[in-house]
Amino acid sequence: MSDRQAGAGQATLVIDGAEVAFEPGESLFEVSARVGKRLPSLCYDERLEAFGACRLCVVEVEGIRNPVASCTTLAADGMVVTTSSAEVEAWRKTLVEMVASENREVEVDPLRGHASQELSRLVARYDAVPGRFAGEPSGKSREDDGNPFLLRDYDLCISCYRCVRVCAEQQGDHAIGIANRGFETRITTEFDGELRDSACVFCGQCVQTCPTGALADRKAMRGVDVPGEIEKTRTICPYCGVGCSVDLMTKGDKLVGVQPAMDGPANKGALCVKGQFAFDFVQHEDRLAHPMVRNDDGELVRASWDEALDRAAKGFRGVVERHGRHAVYGVASGRAPHEAAYLMQKWIRTGFGTNFIDNCSRA
Amino acid sequence: MSRLDDNDLLERFRKLPAPLLPLLHAFHERDGLVSEEALEALSEGLHIPRAELYGTLTFYHHLSRIPGGQAAPRVCTGPICRYKGGPEILEALRKDGATPMPCAGRCDEPVPVLFGNEVRVGSSVPELLSRPSPLPVPNPGAVEECVFAEIREPDRASLVGYERTGGYEALRRCTAGLRPSELIDLVAESGLAGRGGAGFPTARKWSAVAEATGGPKTIVANADEGEPGCFKDRVLMDHDPHALIEGMCLAAHATGASRGFIYLRYEYPETLAILEKALDEARAAGHLGDRIHGSGFSFEIHLRRGAGAYICGEETSLLNSLEGKHPFPRNRPPFPVTHGYEGTPTAVNNVETLCSVAPIVRKGVEWYQSLGLAENAGTKLISLSGDIQRPGNYEVPLGLPLQTLLADWAGGPPEGRRIQAVTMAGLSGGFLAGADLDVDLDEPGIRSKGSFLGAGGIMVFDDSRDMVQVAHGAMEFFAEESCGKCFPCRIGTRRLAERLAQSHGPRDLATWQQEARELSVVMRATSACGLGQAAPLVVESLMKYFPEELEQSLVSGWSGGNDER
Ligand SMILES: Cc1cc2nc3c(=O)[nH]c(=O)nc-3n(C[C@H](O)[C@H](O)[C@H](O)COP(=O)(O)O)c2cc1C
Ligand code: SF4
Ligand code: SF4
Ligand code: FES
Repeated sequence: MSDRQAGAGQATLVIDGAEVAFEPGESLFEVSARVGKRLPSLCYDERLEAFGACRLCVVEVEGIRNPVASCTTLAADGMVVTTSSAEVEAWRKTLVEMVASENREVEVDPLRGHASQELSRLVARYDAVPGRFAGEPSGKSREDDGNPFLLRDYDLCISCYRCVRVCAEQQGDHAIGIANRGFETRITTEFDGELRDSACVFCGQCVQTCPTGALADRKAMRGVDVPGEIEKTRTICPYCGVGCSVDLMTKGDKLVGVQPAMDGPANKGALCVKGQFAFDFVQHEDRLAHPMVRNDDGELVRASWDEALDRAAKGFRGVVERHGRHAVYGVASGRAPHEAAYLMQKWIRTGFGTNFIDNCSRA
Repeated sequence: MSRLDDNDLLERFRKLPAPLLPLLHAFHERDGLVSEEALEALSEGLHIPRAELYGTLTFYHHLSRIPGGQAAPRVCTGPICRYKGGPEILEALRKDGATPMPCAGRCDEPVPVLFGNEVRVGSSVPELLSRPSPLPVPNPGAVEECVFAEIREPDRASLVGYERTGGYEALRRCTAGLRPSELIDLVAESGLAGRGGAGFPTARKWSAVAEATGGPKTIVANADEGEPGCFKDRVLMDHDPHALIEGMCLAAHATGASRGFIYLRYEYPETLAILEKALDEARAAGHLGDRIHGSGFSFEIHLRRGAGAYICGEETSLLNSLEGKHPFPRNRPPFPVTHGYEGTPTAVNNVETLCSVAPIVRKGVEWYQSLGLAENAGTKLISLSGDIQRPGNYEVPLGLPLQTLLADWAGGPPEGRRIQAVTMAGLSGGFLAGADLDVDLDEPGIRSKGSFLGAGGIMVFDDSRDMVQVAHGAMEFFAEESCGKCFPCRIGTRRLAERLAQSHGPRDLATWQQEARELSVVMRATSACGLGQAAPLVVESLMKYFPEELEQSLVSGWSGGNDER
C-alpha cells in the first residue's frame, strides 16, 4: 500500500496485456472504462458507492483464486488483470440469462426511465436467451400505490438496490429499504405502505437509475403510444437557480417527458419533483395560444400581436413618463424558457434603464 | 417488575455498544412482537431511517410482527428433523401458531421446538422436554482430546469447577508477563487454524489485528452456528462457558483488543443464560473487566443474541448485524482485521477456535501437534447426526479415517441399514458417498474428494432416504438463507431448488444436468460470499454420486416443491 502512495502517478497495472497507469482509489471497473473497456454491469451507477451485487463485472486477477468484482476492487500496483476471457464471458451470459429469467419481460419502453434499457441491452450484447432457467418470477408490482409520478412495477425488479442506494446516498431521503431476503427480497417503504405515506419526496431519482424499468416515470409513460421516435434536447431546468441539466424528450412536436442529465455539472442526474414531473403546463389546454387585450368593459378578448404589443408599450411608456424609469419592475416566470428570461432582463435594463428585474426561480 | 416503557428500554441500551439487537429483543419479549410503534421508537432512538430498519427487521427469521408471535412455537424441520418427526410436530402445533425453522442445532437429539425462550426436544409432541444438551461421550480407546479434555469434569461450567481443572491458568500466564507476541508465536507454532469453516491460520489473523492501526480493537466470538448439522459450539458453551471467555481474553491479549462480543444464535436461549452467568462470575473474579488480575490489561465482553439468519454467521454479515445495519456481507478487501466492527481492527473467531487456545498455552505446542494423525496438528470437533447409532459431538484427531468415526466410534448405521451418503461441512460441503467415504478427516483429504471439512458437521443418510429429496431440502435452505445481495446466489439457489423439486426446468437428465452445471459453475465462481460459492456442491455431488436416482426422479416426476420448511 505504501508503494502506491509513494509512487502515485507512476503506479500501473496490466489490463488485457496493456500497461495502464491509474490514480490511487480508482477501481478496476473505472480503470477499464477509462481505457475503453466498458464492463457489463447492472448494479453499477457511477454516482453511487460500488456495491458488488450483480457480479457481471467480475475479472480475473493473477494470484487471486476467485475472480473479483471489478467495481469493488481497487487497482493496485503490478496487478495483472484479464477482463474478458472466454470463460468469464460465458459466465456473464449465464448470469444475464439468470437475471432475465426473473422478469415477466425484458424489452420495456425507454420512456420508463433513463437507465431502463440496461437489461435489454445486455441481453442483446450477450445474445442471451431470456427463457432459459425458467422458474418463479421475483418481485411483485405495487399496483395499489396510487401516486401520480412513480410506477412501482416490481414484477420487473432484479434487486440491484440502485433505487434504495440512490435514495439514501444521493437524495439523503432513506424513503425505501430492502425487505426480506434471498429471492424474496422486495423494495419497500417503512411498513410496506404507499410512497405518499413515506419519506419520499418524489424526486424520481430511483426511476432514472432503475436498469429494468421496474420503477417508471408515470408522466412520461402517457406518451408511450404517441407515434414517433423519442428525441432528446439538452437544456437547463428553469424552475430554480441550481441549474440542473435536463433532457427534454419529445416525439414530433409533443413534449412527452423530462429526464435528468447524468452528466449535468450541477445535478449529476438529480432533479426535484418539479423539474422531473411538472411539465404539463407546456401543452396544457388552458394555456394562452394567442395574445389577448382587455376591451372597454374590462373583458379579455383576442387580439393581433401588433395590437397587443402597441397596448403594452403605451402602458409602460405612460408609467415611465408619469413616475420615472424606476417605477418599472420585471419578474420573469420560472416556466418561461431561458431565452425569454434573458430577453426580459435585457428589455428591463436597456429598455427602461433600471435594474429592477427578478425571476420567480430565484426563491 | 413493572412494564418498562419505550424510553426506559431505549435508555437502558442506547449507550451500549451494538444496541440494535438487544433492543429488538427487549421489545419483542415485552410485547410479544416488534410492533410498528416499537419500530418508530427504535428508529428515532437509534437514528436509523424507518424504511431501512423495517427492511432489516424483516431480514431476521425469528422477529415476529404478529401479536403473540414471539412465544409461538418454532419447530425444526432441518435436514435431520424432517425425518425424525419434525413435520408431524409442526402439524400438531399449528393450532398454537407454530412455524417451521431451519436446523436449530440439536440434531443429535431431534426434534427441537422453541417455545419463547425455552427449547424442548423430543420426537413427538408428548415427548417434548426441556433438557440440557448432552455431554460428548469420551473417545474410544481414550484417544486424547483438546477442547473436550476437561468438559466432563464435575462443575466445569462454574467458575469454581473451571478453575479447579486448569481454568484461567493460561490467562494468568499472560497477565503475569507472557507477551502478546509470544502468545501469537505459540499459536502460530501450534498450527491452529480457524474452526468456523474457512480454516484461516489463527495466529495470522491475530497478528494482522495486532499490527493494524486504529482502535479500540475488537474480538468477536462467532457463536452463530447456523450451519445445519453443526452443534459443537453449543456443547462447548453449555458445559464449558469459561473456556470461551478465557479464549477471548487470550485473543484480546494477543491483539491488544479492549472489547469483545459474543454473537450467539437465537436458537440457543439456554446457552445465553449460561454465558451471562459465566460472564458475571468471570468479572467478579477479576478475569474480565478493568485491569485483569491487577495487570495493565483490560477487556470487556458484550453478549449479543442473533435473531435468526444463517448468513449472520458469515463474519462481515455478522459485523453489519452487530452494528445494526442490514446484514448483507461486506465487500472485501478491506478485511475485518483492519476494518471490522465499526471500522476498527477486529478478529472474528469461531467458538471452537477460541476454546483451543488455553489448552495449547497450558499443555504446550508439542502436545497439541501430537494430537493429530500423520501430518496433521490437533483435533477437530465433529457433530455427527442422522442415521447413525450414536449421534453426538466427537473430538477426533485430524486425519482420522471417516469410516473409523462412522463404524467404530459411532456404531454404524441403524440395524439392517447401509450408509448411503454423508454430508460434509454441515450442508455446505455437499455429499460424499460410495468409495469416497474412504477418506481421512482432514482438509486436504476431504478437498481431494471435491468437498471440505469446514465446521465439521456430518449428517448421515442411510439407504432408506431419497437423496434427491435430501438435496432439495438442502438447496431450499440455501435459497431461503441467501441474503439476496448478489445475483448468482439469490437467483441460482432458487433455480436449483426449483429444478430439484421439478416444479420448473427440464425433465430430461442431460438437459437438466447441463443447466444445473452451468448454474453451479457461475455460482461458485462469481458469488460474493461463501454461501453462494458452496451451495452448488449439493447439486454437483448429487449428480456425481446419484445420477440414477436423479434420472428416476425426473422420470417419475417427484415434486417436493410444496415442501415447507
Ligand atoms: C454463510 C456462512 C455462514 C457462516 N457461519 C459461521 C458460523 O456460524 N460460525 C462460525 O464460526 N463461522 C461461520 N462462518 C465463517 C466465518 O465467516 C468466519 O470465517 C469464521 O467465523 C472465522 O473464525 P475462525 O477463523 O476461527 O474459523 C460462516 C461463513 C459463511 C460464508
Ligand atoms: S426497482 Fe429497479 S433500481 Fe430498484 S432494485 Fe429493483 S431493479 Fe433495481
Ligand atoms: S453469496 Fe448469497 S449470501 Fe453471500 S452475498 Fe451473495 S447473495 Fe448474499
Ligand atoms: S436440529 Fe433439526 S436438523 Fe438440526
